[in-house]
Amino acid sequence: MIHLKKDETKLMVAVHGWSGIVLGLLLYAVIFTGMAAVFAEEIGIWSAGHVETRSAFERPMDGSIRRLAAQTPAKYHEGVDLFEIGDHNLGAFFHRHETDPDGTLVSRGIYYQLDRKGDVAKALHGTGEEVFGPRNDDALSSFLVDTHVRLHVPNPWGLLLTGIVGLVMLVAAISGLLIHRHLFKDIFTLRRSASPVLVDRDRHSVAGTWSLPFAFILAFTGSFFSFFGTIGVPIVAMAAFGGDVQALNDAVFGNPGRPDPRPATMGNMDRIAADAIRRTGEVPTFITIENFGRADAKVTSFHPPKAGDIEPVTLLYDGAQAKFLHTKPSIGTQPSAGGTLAAIMAPMHFGNFAGMLSKAVWFALGFAMCYVTFTGLRLWLARRREDMRSLEWLDRTVMVVGFGLPFALVCSAAAFLIAMPLGSATYWTPAAFLIASGVAILGGTTAPSVAALGRALQFATGLVLAGLVPLRWISGGPGWGRAIEAGQPIIAALDLAFLLAGIWMVWRAAALPARRLPFPARPVPAE
Amino acid sequence: MSQSWRKWTRILLAGPGAVLVALVVMAGMPLWLPGGAAGVDNLVLPLVLVPLIWAALFFHACLDRRLSRVAAIAATLFLFHAGLVAHKLLVQRSAFEEHRS
Repeated sequence: MIHLKKDETKLMVAVHGWSGIVLGLLLYAVIFTGMAAVFAEEIGIWSAGHVETRSAFERPMDGSIRRLAAQTPAKYHEGVDLFEIGDHNLGAFFHRHETDPDGTLVSRGIYYQLDRKGDVAKALHGTGEEVFGPRNDDALSSFLVDTHVRLHVPNPWGLLLTGIVGLVMLVAAISGLLIHRHLFKDIFTLRRSASPVLVDRDRHSVAGTWSLPFAFILAFTGSFFSFFGTIGVPIVAMAAFGGDVQALNDAVFGNPGRPDPRPATMGNMDRIAADAIRRTGEVPTFITIENFGRADAKVTSFHPPKAGDIEPVTLLYDGAQAKFLHTKPSIGTQPSAGGTLAAIMAPMHFGNFAGMLSKAVWFALGFAMCYVTFTGLRLWLARRREDMRSLEWLDRTVMVVGFGLPFALVCSAAAFLIAMPLGSATYWTPAAFLIASGVAILGGTTAPSVAALGRALQFATGLVLAGLVPLRWISGGPGWGRAIEAGQPIIAALDLAFLLAGIWMVWRAAALPARRLPFPARPVPAE
Repeated sequence: MSQSWRKWTRILLAGPGAVLVALVVMAGMPLWLPGGAAGVDNLVLPLVLVPLIWAALFFHACLDRRLSRVAAIAATLFLFHAGLVAHKLLVQRSAFEEHRS
């Protein structure tokens, strides 16, 4: 328990409130989309109706890679990234590292998208930034992730913005801890018979206190990811390597060894993938090949953490001989404190270290954080309501963002389900989001009251959410029987979750008395 | 020192001051931190820890009653790390010029 002096507590209350109010709406948007993005992979499977369960790395791929290498200019054999796209198909990016005229280090090459038979469905030429974007069958999950990562603001500004939002969350979490005079009591205090204001404050306090460690972890890891490439790497490279970012990358991620540029036939990639799966018990998430077709070729396979562990597993192979060399840390050549700490940042942020269970916990705590952010904003307004009637616009804005964002997201999901079979999902997914946002904003300006606005948005969100399930069936998605038979029960599970959540929201919005939705009648005295 | 002056000094130290010092500390840390077993700790730890360094500086600037102590700690961190970076850059520059001549 931390006991601050009265004026310090007052200052921390102000810091806590203002940190939320200044960037609170952006913070809410980032947390909400992050909460949904925890299940981005599953949402991708559900929305596109993917029923293939065998990974591209479990199926023969060696012949396809050799064919692609033969048709790719040798200058792009410096690096080959292999990963899964769509319904467990293979994506391959043959590239080399270049420095742009503005000094930015880029990967330039050819990105091949293969179909189920291993033939080239699409080939894109350019830098990584240019060729990797949403595809028709993953437009919804890409849209979710992109909103969370950079709020659709171009890089580096989008990442910087979400990084600053992460720091704001860090401040809110730490100051939230400092202002609790009775932390353990607050965890369990829910006065149900008190005034609506106190009930709201208790709920905010309980949800905030329980999710405090989680908020700290998310804010810390999130701001790390945002600032890592945009500010961190250039600054550390400037100080330690005279600005040579490639030298920093080689030192941190590279596989040191004597260069041997002699041409050599590559070892069998199917053999490497099978061996990697056998050793780790997990399918690779990603495979990289350095110096394809040279005697010093190295293959690195990246795997999710083993059961009971949080650090991802990385295996290194001799590429020319397809021979296992050793297990290596994700960062550096030997295990080290810094490497381990950096390696666990991703699992801690994404919550994907223990399968569906950790994802469910991360989703639930993310929901709690959304609730804390939203109720925090409303409490801040409630405290000033009688003094500042001019804050009505902010009140409406909070409601438009708070309930308008979920509404716009479910509308974009509905648009995806309609547009994907027509091949125009990359356009209509964000377009529907913008149209629905426009409708929510329009509602915010015309609704007779804030309560009516909130209720209407909740009702509409529930309606569209429940409607996603029949929409998916009508648009040709697999039914429950087929999905379960194919080993994709997640499709039926998400259908059921959306249906129940939608019905619950409609029922709740219909049953909610307009006066409770939620505005406290009197300001709350500061603690 | 007037209350208003103290308030604005504190805001400057907690706001732009904390950001500036955190960035300079991140730049300077690779030059004194040990590399560890893999030789990368000095490069990776500053990148990982910079949000926490910023948060520590921010809350110190908010909560320490003695503003002079806040300024002294921030200035010491800044000067030490900026000095290390400046020295490294000067050495690199002179080596480059020597190589060119």
